Amino acid sequence: MFSLRALALALCVSLATAARLTVSIPASALLPNPATLPPSTHAVLVGPPGVRYDAPIRRDSTFLFPALPAASYLLTLHSRDYAFPPLRIDVSSAPAESPQQQPMHAWQTFRGNEWANKGPSYGAGHGELHVHVQASSPKDFYQSRGGFNLMGFVKSPMILMGIVSAAMIFGMPYVMENMDPETKAEFEEMQSKSPITGSGGAANQIQNFDLAGWMAGKTADTGASAGGGGKKK
Amino acid sequence: MLLPLIAAAFLLAGSGSAVFTDEAWNVDYHYALLGQPKQSTSFFHQPNPSSRASLVYTLSERGVLGAVNPRDGAVVWRQVLLAGASAHNASFLRAGEGQDVVISGIGSQVAAWSAADGRQAWSVDFPGPLEDVEILELVDGKDTSGAKDAVALSGGDQPVVQRLDGATGSVKWQYQLSGTDVPYQVSASTTEVFVISLHKTILGYLKLKVTSLDPVSGHKMDEHMLSSENELATADTIVTVGANSASPINAWTDSTHSVLKVNIMGTKGISSFDIEKHGGEAVERVKLHAPYHINSLSHFLVHYETATSHWAEVFHVDLKRGQVEKAYSLPKLAGRGAFSTSTSDANVYFTRVTSDQVMTVSSASHGVLGKWSVGGFNVAAANDETAEPIHAVSEVSIRGDTVSAVRSAVLLSTGDWVLLRDGSPVWSRPEMLASTVSAAFATPAEVEALVQQLEAEAHSNPIEAYIHRLTRHVQDLQRLPAIIMSLPQKVVQGFLGTSVDGDITSDSFGFHQIIACATQDGRLIALDAGNPDKVLWNQQIADLQPGQTWQPSVSSPKGGVVEISSKASAGVQYNASSGEQLVSILPIDVTADQAAQEVKYAMHDGGLEATVDSSTTWHFMPTSGERIVSLVPRPLNDPVASIGKVLGDRRVLYKYLDPNLALLVTANDAATAATFYVLNTVSGAILYSNVHTGVDLSSPISSMLSENWFTYSFTAEASGDSPKGHQLVVGELFESLVANDRGPLSSTANYSSMQTGTEPFTLTKIYQIPEPISKMAVTRTRQGITSRQLLAVLADSSAIVGIPYGVVDPRRPIGRDPTKDEQAEGLVRYSPVIDFDPRWYLNHQREVVGVKDTITSPALLESTSLVFAYGLDIFGTRLSPSFSFDVLGKDFNKFQMLATVAALAVATCVVAPLVTRKQVNTRWQFM
Repeated sequence: MFSLRALALALCVSLATAARLTVSIPASALLPNPATLPPSTHAVLVGPPGVRYDAPIRRDSTFLFPALPAASYLLTLHSRDYAFPPLRIDVSSAPAESPQQQPMHAWQTFRGNEWANKGPSYGAGHGELHVHVQASSPKDFYQSRGGFNLMGFVKSPMILMGIVSAAMIFGMPYVMENMDPETKAEFEEMQSKSPITGSGGAANQIQNFDLAGWMAGKTADTGASAGGGGKKK
Repeated sequence: MLLPLIAAAFLLAGSGSAVFTDEAWNVDYHYALLGQPKQSTSFFHQPNPSSRASLVYTLSERGVLGAVNPRDGAVVWRQVLLAGASAHNASFLRAGEGQDVVISGIGSQVAAWSAADGRQAWSVDFPGPLEDVEILELVDGKDTSGAKDAVALSGGDQPVVQRLDGATGSVKWQYQLSGTDVPYQVSASTTEVFVISLHKTILGYLKLKVTSLDPVSGHKMDEHMLSSENELATADTIVTVGANSASPINAWTDSTHSVLKVNIMGTKGISSFDIEKHGGEAVERVKLHAPYHINSLSHFLVHYETATSHWAEVFHVDLKRGQVEKAYSLPKLAGRGAFSTSTSDANVYFTRVTSDQVMTVSSASHGVLGKWSVGGFNVAAANDETAEPIHAVSEVSIRGDTVSAVRSAVLLSTGDWVLLRDGSPVWSRPEMLASTVSAAFATPAEVEALVQQLEAEAHSNPIEAYIHRLTRHVQDLQRLPAIIMSLPQKVVQGFLGTSVDGDITSDSFGFHQIIACATQDGRLIALDAGNPDKVLWNQQIADLQPGQTWQPSVSSPKGGVVEISSKASAGVQYNASSGEQLVSILPIDVTADQAAQEVKYAMHDGGLEATVDSSTTWHFMPTSGERIVSLVPRPLNDPVASIGKVLGDRRVLYKYLDPNLALLVTANDAATAATFYVLNTVSGAILYSNVHTGVDLSSPISSMLSENWFTYSFTAEASGDSPKGHQLVVGELFESLVANDRGPLSSTANYSSMQTGTEPFTLTKIYQIPEPISKMAVTRTRQGITSRQLLAVLADSSAIVGIPYGVVDPRRPIGRDPTKDEQAEGLVRYSPVIDFDPRWYLNHQREVVGVKDTITSPALLESTSLVFAYGLDIFGTRLSPSFSFDVLGKDFNKFQMLATVAALAVATCVVAPLVTRKQVNTRWQFM
């Protein structure tokens, strides 16, 4: 830390020849009012070993690095409430004829990728650079428990099936009773003929399927016999 | 890009741990501390000139600037201006009247901060260390409504005075001080800026040199030396050098505090006052309290302190005649007291705070305007210690001729910062905890007492044990009425989910552990982890002289006992619950294993040296150019439930478990390389080593070792084809990488590190992390069955994250999706980047600043680990890395359970007649 401080001091003296970087947080759909960011929001610029700058947020939601020597920096913004993308800031040494015109360039960078892999440019300047960094996502710290939700409970397929079958059990007798005798007779006849529920229907066949017989290689004509030894009920 | 893939990977992995909505703010606790405030940098100020509500501002000894709400003691905002500051760092904090900024000066930086929200307005760096900062109240002789300018004085090789623009911080003028005089302070009156420097005479005495400057141009107007004769041997006896009052003054005493000399700044005359001897005791300290407002009366108060008493005298400055006169004196009182100055319009009020009363007088006469008795400060202190005020700042409300209310923020000798409103304490902030340097968990003595009784029963003959048990139960019966009385309340609380976890004596989950914290200024403070709102006890255990430091280390050698040891003294033990010093150290009842030999290792000549029975067994010397950065041994109490890792197909990979492991980090400054070694501390064998080049050695390198895995983190420098940034490395040691095979150890039942050297097979993975980790710790549970969580302190985010082990597992497959067996184990495809999921933040929305270390302790519940972090802030929580599988947590809805039972009961009642009818019908219906 102390070497850093000394370095910072040395830089102040040669303030005229160092590059100035301003990073601002513009209002965006995600963060409509940057003034709501807490005062602990700060920007960290990590350069070559031993060079590290830390700037607190200012009243106009900017971070100011007044004197940067030529190097390649990683810029990270830290805030309690929002995450920000990391940037790569390059400050080159100034050409001899104009010592205050260090070329500066900012790009997005990607963690875990080689340093040469640069993203879209965030701007370039000479001696001075103003970069806008938008918040990328809000931080959500909390995990809510999967609590009890009546609607969700009712919507689940198991419960829906249960409700339908309960309606059938309780409702069908009333419906049957209230039918006029003709329709009732028709309905009963229809039911007995129905391929699914009728006496020779598929459902009965499946229910009375003689698995053991089938496995023993019995022929099909005996398979459907009611009350067989291998009957499955 | 890789990003979507990485995100997908993390959706899978990120379900390991989280802070739940209903647990946040309840289970965790946090003291947002500032450090002990200084009198000269604390004041009440209105952040918004148009409203009357004021905040208390302070720039503490720890270099933290903060605003505290006087209503409830909550921190409104704070900024760490100088990390690692101590009481010796000169610091300044000023606020102009009616200004919406406060101006701080510390180190070599002057900065202005928005008073309402703590954002920076401007900052200016000086070439040398700052000596003083003042605000020019009157700009060019007249009061203006704009931002008020500041004047700053810096020392060092080129002492310079600068006038800084109040709105932008730009330099308006600067004046270079010449000569060898040491710059001391700067002050301003309505028409002049005074620079006071210390001139050393040939005889070695000091003289005050006053240089007056024109505030508009910065040109020198006058310079003169004050004839202090041979009174000033050191700068310590200078009582004050005037500030922004109507008539700034210089005051000093001789080294025996027998005479007070006062000079009105800008004149050469010196008034001399004899300091009365009250009862023959020597005056130890003389302090001066003067109003800070330019249009208030030029009155001031001098405060004298002896070892056992204090009193004060009030002086008036006659500006016309240029004379200082003594007006009245305040009587001598026993104990220590604090005086503070407040102003209302032009009137000046002095408030005196002692340990039993608060009293306000006007500066004009000695009539008491308001007096309140203080019942107590409501802070924890040792039995033989009374909390006494050290210093105070006050705000008075005036109604007519009397003081209707007074609020004083008082720093007590216990280190608490207390607000007294009309003599009664409103809140207290345990600021002494901000300088905690070592801490440890201990079980409460009450719990330990029961354990001892049970042990006594187990070790005596059956009849005695029976009688002992009977008497114990009869004694317990006395508590029965109280328990029955509280039963209904407990039941109700249990259903409403508001039940607290019991008190310290009836703690069935082991959440009530005592945390003992030793501070830099020699105090030992105990907190209850289950009820952290109150300090249990707080006592001075080391009598440190100013400027003296110590390195205490706190430990708990056995239940109910806290032991503190430092370089100077062997361990001193204290009762964990009451803080009483244990005079007779109880004999250790566990007989030491005679066969076991102890290997001790220590840093020696830049290397490591291990000894057995005072003979050296092994040396570890880093290669030339390397220095040892840190050594982390495996924790002493690190239970491991399983010796192997069960794979998806039910085969086992055997862990390399050795209690004598340590992770050593060395740095090579020339090559910017860091080397990491895993050592066997008994044999000295190197089990694993790795070198990383291009490491930023000035940023923190943290490391941790637990069970059979180690982890470290560092910041890497960029090169064209490698990533720049912060990296986390995790390595795991196995006996062999073939499942169901123990390698060379398979044939042996027992083995010794001394005789056989088996080398582990190590798997490592490197991950990129978004920010540096300054310190690492690991959760600990009672049996080690619960999966572990890596705790990482993030200094930049002011946070502590709990990283589930599954996320950093070195067995994550690279370049392919995990197989079915690996999926069953919970392994996901390796991705090089770990983004810290906000849900891993143990501190969620709280900002835990300046954490130096994190300690963990197992609770009685296997699922739960207690975590405590200290440094500047104090933060603690309970963690369940594998969720709370052995206790009904808040997620268990008792109402839902009751409702389900009730619904089933109703359904049974409704359905039963139907079923009976149907059964009867089926019997009667044949076909």
